Amino acid sequence: MTVTAPPVPQMPPPTQPRGRLQRFLRDEAWTGALVLLFAGLLFWQSTQVRAWGSFELQTLATSTLPLVFIALAQGVVVIAGGIDLSVGAQMVLFNCVAASLMEGAGFGSSLALAALTLVLGAVVGVLTGWIITVSGVPDIIVTLATSFIWLGLALWIMPQPGGGANPSFQEMFVGSGTAYWPALLCIAVPLLVVWVPLRRSRIGLSIYALGSDPQAAFLAGVSAPRARMTAYALAGMFTALAGLATTAYTGGGQASIAVANTATLGSVAAVVLGGIALTGGVGGLIGPVLAVWCLFLIPANLLSFGVDPSYGEVVRGVVIVLVVLSGSLLRRKWSKA
Amino acid sequence: MTVLDAPRQQGSPLRRIPAAMLALLGVLLALILANGLVDTGFFSLGQLRNTLLIAAPLALFAGAQTLCMLTGGIDLSVTMTATAVAYVVGSRAASGDSAFTAIALGFLVALVIGLVNGLAIGVFGVNPLIMTLGMAAIITGVLTVGSQSFLGGATRMPQIVLDLGRGTFLGPLPWNLLVWAVLGVGLVLLLRRTGLGRLVYAVGDNRRAARLAGVQVWRVETAVYVIAALLAAVAGILVGGRSGAVDLQLTASYLLPSVAAAVIGGTSILGGAGGYGGTVLGALILTVLDTMLTRLAVDESLRQLVAGAILLALAWVYVSSTRRGATRRRSSA
Repeated sequence: MTVTAPPVPQMPPPTQPRGRLQRFLRDEAWTGALVLLFAGLLFWQSTQVRAWGSFELQTLATSTLPLVFIALAQGVVVIAGGIDLSVGAQMVLFNCVAASLMEGAGFGSSLALAALTLVLGAVVGVLTGWIITVSGVPDIIVTLATSFIWLGLALWIMPQPGGGANPSFQEMFVGSGTAYWPALLCIAVPLLVVWVPLRRSRIGLSIYALGSDPQAAFLAGVSAPRARMTAYALAGMFTALAGLATTAYTGGGQASIAVANTATLGSVAAVVLGGIALTGGVGGLIGPVLAVWCLFLIPANLLSFGVDPSYGEVVRGVVIVLVVLSGSLLRRKWSKA
Repeated sequence: MTVLDAPRQQGSPLRRIPAAMLALLGVLLALILANGLVDTGFFSLGQLRNTLLIAAPLALFAGAQTLCMLTGGIDLSVTMTATAVAYVVGSRAASGDSAFTAIALGFLVALVIGLVNGLAIGVFGVNPLIMTLGMAAIITGVLTVGSQSFLGGATRMPQIVLDLGRGTFLGPLPWNLLVWAVLGVGLVLLLRRTGLGRLVYAVGDNRRAARLAGVQVWRVETAVYVIAALLAAVAGILVGGRSGAVDLQLTASYLLPSVAAAVIGGTSILGGAGGYGGTVLGALILTVLDTMLTRLAVDESLRQLVAGAILLALAWVYVSSTRRGATRRRSSA
């Protein structure tokens, strides 16, 4: 309800400053709390690890890079009011595509192939959005089905783990030595170059409108197919980036169903913890990034506490459930007030 | 129950259900025939038995999924619940408990999991997808640690579980088929003939209307997730008995097919439409298809492609025939 124009033109637009301020505080409060949580976890880790420094930061930034990208992909789709259960499968597919094409390629041609992978990502996204629009089948079912298809394609391209990547190309993502900034740059550039301008544009607004209230968006003249396909195309490009990051990180490709499933579930968790409402139309893309990092740091920190890191999974589950629980309780309180 | 009947009168999807079922049955028969052509041994009793042996746990998982989907939810923790139950049964039996105690403890674990899921979803309004995803993560973590400590050591399935999982009841009929048949009939009767069953449809069809009509939605949802967890427990015991050993990946491969079988069987993920009969056909179709592709020595890649294409195509046909998806309500609403 936040971004859309009112369905009836005679109605005064809901622009009471109090509501807007409240909304601003609420949105920023979530990101702010995440920043605090992340800083706290980072500080906690720095007190636990001897000679804590850029190596730990690099580990954090590079090993979470694929998950960050597919959390971003999931984030865009959920903001548009959908859910994409195929992000992990897409990541694995693009990992296999990139690794099989890039084997033995030079740096220049690797870059060209990376661009090609991004285009493929956009195509896959548009196709997903198109199927959802034309068929009228819920997103969750369509993407469940396409996840099988993408995994099948990935297995067809790469029946056995293999492929390769250009070392300079790898360094572009994971950095050399203990440099952590390349990985951070890889996240920042797409966000700043693509997402920020898009969000302020007409089509970006229509993505939020569609997720917020499809009916109101339709009445306000938003083209749902266009908004949905744009969101899925963007998500496809993010999953392509995740595939490229996996290729760079592992130096090869593997069509693993387990990796795909874990990644998909992780992306949903990150989106929820990142403050994007599953009902759509609420949230930004900074939250999911911070959420992925927090979810990575929690088990790592537990280890230093002497707790079996396997309990990290338990903590993750509990955190996610509690976050959603408190969210729905707060919403209930607000709606009563 | 006018709440229930009102939306049905317009599109009369009730009249369409038999047609859809017939179509599904046709697909199944065609697949079985194709299977027979591919492999003449398919109609042998041994092969038939194998197919049924694989189908029974999937159909139970899919039954749990159908129940949850009918209320507009989903349960992604069914397979981890099943694995947890198999772990408990196996390790308790190995440490000297009687089979009865071990199985009872297993069901107790499932009951607790189902209660937590159901109360969180029904009372506290946690999104079902997230709740059950989180629950799956929690169980995974506990089992990972537990397999090295309190559930550690050898797991040994009690003899009765082994018999149920892989033993033969009569001719080509395995015991697990009997278990499934009893529970399946129970599930169909529950959905069709009991008040709870009607309420499940009412909640899934229109939650708000059901609440306004005086339905205690939280009770219905709690009951549904508890029943789902108990069905998953049975499936876990059957799968554990079939393999004889337990590991964390014991039932993982059933998760997506359980959703797929329900969808193929015509249960709407938005809730309120569908039933267990279709789900059974969906589970059989998936199993026969898988058997055929295995027989043909088809690559894993093509198998995935075919499974995805069939799921998409059938879901598409359903939606265009019932036009339910046209409203595009969100599953998490």
